Amino acid sequence: MTAYLLNLATLATIFGILAASLNLLIGYAGIFSVAHAVFFGLGAYAGAQVAMLLVPDVLLACLAGGAVAALLSLGLALPALRVRGEYFVAASLGLQMMAVTVFSEAHALTGGHGGLVGIPLPTLLGFDVSAQGVFLTVCLAVLALILLAIRMLMRGSFGRSLMAIRDSESAAEAFGKDVRQLKTLVVVLGCALAGVGGALFSFYMMFVNVESFTLEQSILIMAMVIIGGTATLAGPLVGVLLLLLLPAALSFLPFIPPTQIGAVQQFIYGLAMALLMIFRPAGIAGQSAGRR
Amino acid sequence: MKQYGLNRRGFVAAGAAALVAPRLALAQSSPYVVGTLFPMSGPNAEYGSLFTKGIELALEHIRADNMLKRPITMAVQDSLATPQGGAVGMTKLANVDKAVWVMIGFTGVSKAAAPIGTRSKVMMINGGGVGPDLAGLSPYYWNVIPLVNQEVRVLLPWLQKEKLKRIALIYVDDPLGNSVVQELRKGLAETGGELVGAHSIPPATQQFAAIAARVRDSKPDAVYFASYGAQQSQIIKQLRDNGITQQIITYSAGTIPSVVGLPESEGLIVTSQVSDWEQGDEVTQRFVKDWRAKHNGDPTSYNQNYYNAMRLFALLAQGLEKAGTEVTGETLLAELQRVRRFPLVGGEGVLEDGGTMAMPLQIGQIRNGRLQKIA
Repeated sequence: MTAYLLNLATLATIFGILAASLNLLIGYAGIFSVAHAVFFGLGAYAGAQVAMLLVPDVLLACLAGGAVAALLSLGLALPALRVRGEYFVAASLGLQMMAVTVFSEAHALTGGHGGLVGIPLPTLLGFDVSAQGVFLTVCLAVLALILLAIRMLMRGSFGRSLMAIRDSESAAEAFGKDVRQLKTLVVVLGCALAGVGGALFSFYMMFVNVESFTLEQSILIMAMVIIGGTATLAGPLVGVLLLLLLPAALSFLPFIPPTQIGAVQQFIYGLAMALLMIFRPAGIAGQSAGRR
Repeated sequence: MKQYGLNRRGFVAAGAAALVAPRLALAQSSPYVVGTLFPMSGPNAEYGSLFTKGIELALEHIRADNMLKRPITMAVQDSLATPQGGAVGMTKLANVDKAVWVMIGFTGVSKAAAPIGTRSKVMMINGGGVGPDLAGLSPYYWNVIPLVNQEVRVLLPWLQKEKLKRIALIYVDDPLGNSVVQELRKGLAETGGELVGAHSIPPATQQFAAIAARVRDSKPDAVYFASYGAQQSQIIKQLRDNGITQQIITYSAGTIPSVVGLPESEGLIVTSQVSDWEQGDEVTQRFVKDWRAKHNGDPTSYNQNYYNAMRLFALLAQGLEKAGTEVTGETLLAELQRVRRFPLVGGEGVLEDGGTMAMPLQIGQIRNGRLQKIA
């Protein structure tokens, strides 16, 4: 049981990093991206390649994953941030679809649809961190650092400028904010953090393929942020716990017939989310727009 | 004094025995846990249901025959057909349910679950995925289904005999599809044939009119497609709708009901392990008879494979019980490596190094909505 709980906790921590990074875009800057799984994937592939070709060092893999995701996020940010709202959603959707094809076809880098198998056990500065508890501690440390950085950034002028853009882009521009530069910066930062999460994910799974970076995954991450509550530190984490752990918890219910478990789980899961959005539209840990 | 000492020891021993005996008895009667890690919801749930039905029939037969001294319980996990779902499900089966034998399907799920199963020393049995990259995945990972390259090799002499020399190929660009390309290209060259076109498609594509036009232009004698799931029916239908009248051929994924029952599938050639339901051996006959009685139709290769996967566990556990050995993932693996040959539905299955299984293969054709063996 301990091993199972540690595994769930590790996965929840990695998705916590991912949701917190998307919260930067959605919650603080008002940029709705449905391509976040792409940057998660870029980080995962970069981290896996570093581990397989160079050294399986978590720090190096995270740096590589973050850097690759940040660099390629410019490809989305520079052209797409010229447009607002739903147009950005459409542009990110296009990127998501394109990226899945590239992940499937770039056999030399991604292993194609078959993926990358045999990712070695993780080390950190030469120390073995592959034991479940130790790897979870590493992931928790990364999550804590990221949350701390987000808290500091959002309390400073960068964060206030982003929130001003979110609430009224025209007003922020009128006050002399360089909207395009700020938006580009936050997209690059958010995507880099998603890349870090991806590198950790590749070590956790010891296998990566395109099936983990699809549109469904992007929507799941977005749901975590929205259901948990946007523009709060705790919100995305609450969303992760609910969306990742609820299906796992439902599998323990003894009255669900074993062969119908999937369908019943999906039904309860969907119903819970619909009710939540009706009665807590700002998310579980979210605040209404007026109280932000 | 001595007698008192003995009595005291005897009393202590009797007390200890009284305390331990129920636990031993409980351990003796506690069930073997076998797990399934299939997609039970979402677009691939049809497969999860097909796989599970084969296992359920095998469980009925194992119980009816009293093959094992201890009962079997089945722990079910929904893999969602994703690597992440596979990793979470496998962790629960291995660490919470304490399954010693997990039946698994889908390549991505298998690859994500294999390291977890290997660490926990749980036997993992695949009866659905046929990609050649599933061979040698782990010492604990075994396939009870011939992999696709073996199926293509069986097809080549038949193509030669039927004078089908120019073959066009439509394949999903994954390890399975790429393996078919390699086998066909190499095999056709050796048998005097030619691969006149190889058209790769993404796994989720549903539109094939443009591909059909290109296939038609290459003037093939036959069209082979290597795909899976709901995409297969679309390929067959759209090829026919776009004027392809030539022979269409596929591998064992084409045995699912949605393909076999499709009107456009009439005449489709499908390679698979032997599923000659008129075969005389006792195991096959019983499987077919009881399947028809229960489901009012013929079983598919997937039903057969997962029946075999469950039956294989019972045969191995039976051998271990007879030898007085505890049934664990490790002992099951050792027993499998010792015995190697097993009487299964469709004939004798021989498990080979690398985790693959050699089984008699057949070429079948869909006639009047039923798959019939033709070679």
